[in-house]
Amino acid sequence: MANQKYNLKEEIEQVREDCLRPTRKWGRSTQIWIGSLLMVMAWGLYCYIHQLRNGLGVTAMRNYVSWGLYISTFVFFIGISHSGTLVSAILRITKQEWRRPITRSAELLTFVSLLFGGIMPIIDLGRPDRIANLVIFGRVQSPLLWDVISILTYFTGSTVFLFLPMIPDMALCRDRLKVCETKFDKFRKWLYTKMALGWQGTKTQWHRLELTMTIMTIVIIPVAVSVHTVVSYIFAMTLRPGWNSTVFGPYFVAGALYSGSAGVILGMVAFRKLYSLEKYITPRHFDLMGRIVLALTMIYAYLNLNEYWIPAYKMATAEGHLLNDLFSGSYSIAFWTCQFGTVLIPIIVLAIPAGRKLIPITITCIIIVLGAWVKRYLIVVPTLLHPFMPIQEVPGSWSTYFPNYVEFSVTAACLAGIFLVITLFAKMFPMMAVWEVEEGIQIEYDKQAAIELREQRETEEAKNILGNAGTANEPIIQQA
Amino acid sequence: MIEENKENINPESKTTNRRNLLKYGFLTAGLTVAGIGLKKVFSEGNDPGETVKVLTPDGKVYETCSTQLKEYRPGPVTNAEARKGIPNKKFVMVIDLAKCDGCKKCTEACQAMHYTEPDREWIKVFKMHEAEATAPFYFPKPCFHCDNPPCTKVCPVNATFKREDGIVLIDNERCIGCRMCMAACPYSTRFFNWSAPDEKQTAQLGNAAYSPEQSVPRKIGTVEKCDFCPDMIRQGKMPACVSGCPMNVIYFGDQNEDAVTNASGVTVKLSQLLEDNAGYRHLEELGTEPRVYYLPPKNRKYPTPNVNAPGGRENKKPTELNMGDMHM
Amino acid sequence: MKMKSIINKITLSIIFTSLICVISTAQDKSEVKSKRETAIEMSYNKKADKSKIAVALVTAKNEAGKFIPANNVQVNFYAKHNNDEQLIKSANTNNKGEANILLPKDLPLNDSMYFNIIAKIENNNQFENAQEQMHFKEANLSFSLDSKDTNRMVIAKVTEMSKDGKEIPVKGVELKFYVCRLFGTMPASEDNNITTDDKGEASFAYPKNIPGSTEGVITLVAKIENNEKFGSIENKVAEPWGTVLAIEKEPFPRALWEPTAPFPLVITISSLFGGVWLVYFFLFYQLKKIKEETKIKTVKN
Repeated sequence: MANQKYNLKEEIEQVREDCLRPTRKWGRSTQIWIGSLLMVMAWGLYCYIHQLRNGLGVTAMRNYVSWGLYISTFVFFIGISHSGTLVSAILRITKQEWRRPITRSAELLTFVSLLFGGIMPIIDLGRPDRIANLVIFGRVQSPLLWDVISILTYFTGSTVFLFLPMIPDMALCRDRLKVCETKFDKFRKWLYTKMALGWQGTKTQWHRLELTMTIMTIVIIPVAVSVHTVVSYIFAMTLRPGWNSTVFGPYFVAGALYSGSAGVILGMVAFRKLYSLEKYITPRHFDLMGRIVLALTMIYAYLNLNEYWIPAYKMATAEGHLLNDLFSGSYSIAFWTCQFGTVLIPIIVLAIPAGRKLIPITITCIIIVLGAWVKRYLIVVPTLLHPFMPIQEVPGSWSTYFPNYVEFSVTAACLAGIFLVITLFAKMFPMMAVWEVEEGIQIEYDKQAAIELREQRETEEAKNILGNAGTANEPIIQQA
Repeated sequence: MIEENKENINPESKTTNRRNLLKYGFLTAGLTVAGIGLKKVFSEGNDPGETVKVLTPDGKVYETCSTQLKEYRPGPVTNAEARKGIPNKKFVMVIDLAKCDGCKKCTEACQAMHYTEPDREWIKVFKMHEAEATAPFYFPKPCFHCDNPPCTKVCPVNATFKREDGIVLIDNERCIGCRMCMAACPYSTRFFNWSAPDEKQTAQLGNAAYSPEQSVPRKIGTVEKCDFCPDMIRQGKMPACVSGCPMNVIYFGDQNEDAVTNASGVTVKLSQLLEDNAGYRHLEELGTEPRVYYLPPKNRKYPTPNVNAPGGRENKKPTELNMGDMHM
Repeated sequence: MKMKSIINKITLSIIFTSLICVISTAQDKSEVKSKRETAIEMSYNKKADKSKIAVALVTAKNEAGKFIPANNVQVNFYAKHNNDEQLIKSANTNNKGEANILLPKDLPLNDSMYFNIIAKIENNNQFENAQEQMHFKEANLSFSLDSKDTNRMVIAKVTEMSKDGKEIPVKGVELKFYVCRLFGTMPASEDNNITTDDKGEASFAYPKNIPGSTEGVITLVAKIENNEKFGSIENKVAEPWGTVLAIEKEPFPRALWEPTAPFPLVITISSLFGGVWLVYFFLFYQLKKIKEETKIKTVKN
């Protein structure tokens, strides 16, 4: 017993050390990584300024394909942002113990991808200088305004959701950072102190934190669902073939969860490797997350079936032209690669236990994430190329679309931005919720202790019974 | 941007204009009988005897001598008036497909009127071929100014709006360029100013004051489309495409009056025209309730369009889409 | 005699053609081409305000040999009286090829009360000289409305002036009745072709259900069109005979496509997201509390 208690303390100390170690030093490789990200972002910024100056005409978008890579990426990023809610909130609600080491990275992914997902439509605006009109003249009938409201709500919510479990950790960081020699350390100390909100771990503070966590966990789920539903509405509220679909809301939510949870696995893989968290993020985590991705992919596949098979059976005029193009036309390779390569094959791989091991699951998740991105593009662009009125006698650039360097550069810059924010975050703050992991260890320990206690009692009782039996006989003997 | 617009419109000149109009109104009222000659309205030459109609912002029709009218220069109406529209009017267009020979004079007239770049056809003449066995025909398509407009529904900032008189306009001083309306329009009617308007056009227009009714000067990063020429209507004239059509294909008028007029001034009863010719609306099943009606291409007198050229139904396949490249 | 004249004509024409040839060869190609052949058509309109307008439609031959309206050609209008031509005014043609002038009130009339107008294209460097004349008599078209019975009647009367200044009714003039619309005049009914009787009157049963203004006012037009004797004459009258146009009660209702949203939508969105934000504010309050509790504790310490 005493031995166990000693181990617990040591173990918690070990956890704290493992979590905080990466925040202490900024190695050369980190600097190179951040530098290259900044370079990508600077080039993207240059391209964006070019776009601002000369109009969206510098992109490949034209009158038929009036939305392109930017809006596809917007949908994709918002999709990725669903990961945090799913893993964190749903697993919290269902009290899954294994969630503890992965919630922080999931929530961070939500926060960052929402941040950049929200920027994408602004990049796509023809007049970003008039963005205030959304507030001044906002029309609540417009799906775009629903997007604005809903994404802002979700962003605020996910920021709070990320921040809440960080409070005790911030206090830990604050208390552990004793030596502040450099300016940077002083800044960190100041930041931790501010973010810790004067956390002292009192009973009422814990009580309030748990209360807010519980409420947030419940509220964030419908908000997250609303976000992706509303994102689908900017397409589904039009009469266009391919978008005019009642299944679009759930289809987008499922697609978001499918790509988002795969994104979480990739995040887990990366942090596990970079921060040596092998002890905490175990094969069991990959196995369980793999099952979740499997389930979500199957739901997504099912909705894909509904989305394509139902109109394909009927082949209504305008829809028929679009579907022909997707099934056997110029988009067929991309379309079937998406359907088989990034949906069907992952299902098969993840259904096999060996497929949920580290390396196969990493590859599968990379495929899923890329496939989800391509799929967004396949939802946005081909529909725009199949309007009701035939495309006749227009300049060649109008009737085809492939993103040009400006769009790729700006999008790449946003992706680099996501990586940069994640890197900076991971270099400043612990990537695991320390107190949650501790709590897990405590619970595990308590459980262990309880088991031991029970075993002990059981043996004692058995002894007693035996003893009693013995004593029952003994007196007789004694009496005898 | 909006304030800028307000400054552009000198409130004083507006009131004087109105006062003048009223004056003209009394003038003509005194004459009890006054002539009309809409066919010859506003010719630049000396036609002193010509009386012309003027439609005031409040929807009243006044008649006046065109010499007098020269003093009256209809400046752009205010943004508020442009958003309201002309009361008690419901503008409607009828396009007689049987008479269209695909000459594209309507497009040309429209482009000249709106200083449009050649690639943007606010009214576009399609070559339609609906089924293998059916005869191809030409199909001029302006904006349908729907009564259940999908485009104004989705606008997040009320930059595109539906007016009292049925016209759907765009305020390019408010448009944020999200292009949601372009995605929502099932008729591909809307165009985006991807780049700044070319210098020639800017020079032509000078510092012309903007009103949503004129749609010019255009602005980069905003959407534009066919506007039914409300500035012309206010002057008692028909839209450029209507009066520009040499085949008298397009009729235009006020549904409340149950009358439409074509380029040669022939005015017919709208309900009768639609009844006699089985008038219909394009893609009625979409429920957008267009304000543009079509008369079927029955007894066409002109050669049918070449189906093998761009425009046949096969051309909807993207592999063949480029056939129409740069045919402008 | 005949032979002689024919020979004369032939020689004349030969000389003429050779002259033309010489001239055309002498001229440089880049110089002004030979003048275009032109034709004038004239018409006369008397408007409802009693103004009299002479219109000359000028057409000129194009390269394809087709006569098309000629734009911006100066046309001179003359009043002819007893072989004496007097210039009234000049006007340029518009883009429809029409030049029109307002005729003076005191046009010289001949014995049978006709006036004579000549339109000429003279000394134009692009168009050949051409001329056309027209002679018309002045007539009056007056209007009266009769709505005694349920049947509303429109009566128009056509009179001409005699030499001694009396009005004489004209019989057998074709009249047409129209209704003024926004962009033109619409035939009041399908068979609106009526001829005047002995009294010079033509009556027309007013058809029902013609939409009028918001006050029900409608403008009726009677027209004599291209009459041989009188040209075109029109007159009109405004009367509240049309069906009253109901003023739209709510031109801008709460609707999805209008600036103001339907109530159910506003309520749904604001309650859904308002609810979420209320929860957020509760959470922010809790966070504030967490912070405050520390302060209290430190103070106590």
